[in-house]
Amino acid sequence: MSRMGFDPDTAIGGAHDRFPSTRMSLLEAAAAGKALPNDALDRVAALYWKPVYKYIRLKWRKSNEDAKDLTQGFFASALEREFFERFDPDQASFRTYLRVALDRYAANQHASANRQKRGGGLVMTGLDFDSAVGEQPGGEDRRQKAIVCPTLSPEELFHREWQRQLFSLAVDDLRDFCEQCGKQTQWRIFEAYDLADGDRRDYAALAELHGITVTTLNNHLAWSRRTLRGFVAERLRGVTSGDRELRAEMRSAFGRSR
Amino acid sequence: MNDSTLDHLRTVADLPDLTGTRYEIESEIGRGGLGVVYAALDSELGRRVAIKVLDSTDEARVIANLEHPAIVPVYDAGTLPDGRAFYAMKLVDGIRLDHYAVKHRSVSESLHVIERIGEALAFAHSRGVLHRDLKPQNVMIGSFGEVYVMDWGIAGVAGTPRFQSPEQERGARSEVDQRSDVYALGALLAFTLPENAPRALKAVAAKAMRAKPDGRYASVSAMLLDLRRFEDGLAVDAFPESVWQKSWRFASRNRVLLALLAAYVLVRVALYFFRKF
Repeated sequence: MSRMGFDPDTAIGGAHDRFPSTRMSLLEAAAAGKALPNDALDRVAALYWKPVYKYIRLKWRKSNEDAKDLTQGFFASALEREFFERFDPDQASFRTYLRVALDRYAANQHASANRQKRGGGLVMTGLDFDSAVGEQPGGEDRRQKAIVCPTLSPEELFHREWQRQLFSLAVDDLRDFCEQCGKQTQWRIFEAYDLADGDRRDYAALAELHGITVTTLNNHLAWSRRTLRGFVAERLRGVTSGDRELRAEMRSAFGRSR
Repeated sequence: MNDSTLDHLRTVADLPDLTGTRYEIESEIGRGGLGVVYAALDSELGRRVAIKVLDSTDEARVIANLEHPAIVPVYDAGTLPDGRAFYAMKLVDGIRLDHYAVKHRSVSESLHVIERIGEALAFAHSRGVLHRDLKPQNVMIGSFGEVYVMDWGIAGVAGTPRFQSPEQERGARSEVDQRSDVYALGALLAFTLPENAPRALKAVAAKAMRAKPDGRYASVSAMLLDLRRFEDGLAVDAFPESVWQKSWRFASRNRVLLALLAAYVLVRVALYFFRKF
C-alpha cells in the first residue's frame, strides 16, 4: 500500500484529517448551544449572499433595488441563533434549508409588501451588489430588470451561483495564503493558467515565461489546486453540520449532484 | 468568475494529485455518489488501471478482502496529499449492465448475469459485507461475458430508487441486512428479463422484491437455488403451480420419455388390432 508524503503546506484538509477541523462549524456551535462567533456569521453571508440575490431576481422577478432590499432583509433577519438551531441536518443540507427559508421569507415579504420594516432597520455592509449584477447569466447589464434565464431554473441558478461564490472565495483565500507564505510564483502560475479567461498557454511557454522547468510548473499547479480544494472545504466546513454533510456538499461543489 | 473558469477550476481542483506515484491520470470514466473513477496508466507495469478517489479508505479495505471472480481485484491503495483516499483496480474492458441489457434481452443471458452477480453477493455476505447499492450502473459485463460487481459495501450509501429496498428508502439502517441485497438482486432480475419471460421467473423476482424482508428469500443463496431449480425444469418456491401447470412442466421436462411411452402405447394398440383382425 503506497502512501504519498504529507505536505505541511496543505495542512488545510491535509493527510492527517480528511477535512479541515481547525474551525468549529457555525451549525455545530448552534447545535451545542455555544455562542455563535461573529466571523462564522460573516462566512455564511459571504458564501450565500450572491446566490440569494440572484435567486430572488430570477425566481421572484425582482428589480435590482428590490432584490437588494430583500437580500439585505433576509440576512438581517435570518442570521440569528434560532435560524441555525432549527436546522435539522437529517432533513436536508443547510444550503437547501437556507433556500427554503428564503422562499418563505420572500413570499411573506411579497404578500405584505411592507418594505419599511424590511430587515428591521438593519443593513448588512460589504455586499457588493454591483459586482453581482455584472455576473448575471447572459452577461448583460440588467440593473433595472428582473433576471430572465431561459436555461436554468431558479434552483439551478442558486446552485450554480453557490458554486461560483464558493470558488471565488476559495481563490481569494488562496491568493492571501500565497502572499502570506511567500508563494507568489505559485500564485502567478495558477492565475496565469487556471484563472485564464479563454485559451491557456501551453505548459512549456508558461514555464519559460516564469523561468522554471515544466516539472516545477506541474508541481506548482498541483500544489495550488490541492490547496484551493482545501480552502473550498474550509469554506464549506463553516456552513455544514459535520463530516457527512461536508462530504455531500464537496460532492455537490465538484460533481454533478445538487 | 465566468462559467468557463468556474468549470475549469472545479475540474482541476478535483483531479487527484498523483505526483510521485506510479500512476498517471488519463481521463475521468465515472462519477458516483461516493467517488470518482479515472482511467490511469501504471507506469511501472505499463498497464492501464482504474483509479477510484473517495473520502475514506473503507471501500478499498472492503474490496481487497473480497477475492472473487466477479469482484474487481484491488491492486493498490493510498492517501492523496489532500487527505482523500484512492485505490487502483483492474480496468474492466466492458459495458455497464444497463447498456448491455438493451441488446441482450433473453432469459438465458439474464440468468447468466444474475447468477454471476448472485454468486458474488453470496460470497460477500459470507464475509459479512453487504453491497447496499446494487444497480445496473454498478455491474460491468466484460468482453468475454465475465461479470463484475462494483462499488461495494460502503456504510452510509442510501441506495438507488427502483433497486432500493423499502427499509433503505425509509432510512431504517438497523433493518438493512442481506435481504436488502436480495431485494436489489430481484430488481436486477426484473430489469434484465424480457417481457415474455416465464411466469415462474417473474415470480422469483417478485418474491425477492417483497416489501417486508421476512417475505423475501432469506439469503441470496436461497434465491440462486430457486433460479437453478427453474433451469433444471423443477418447480420454484416462489411460484405455486396448479395441477395443469405441474403436468405441463412435467411433460416439457420429460418429452423424450413421454414420446417413448406414446410410441410404446401406439405399438401395443397396433399389435392388438393386428392380432384381432
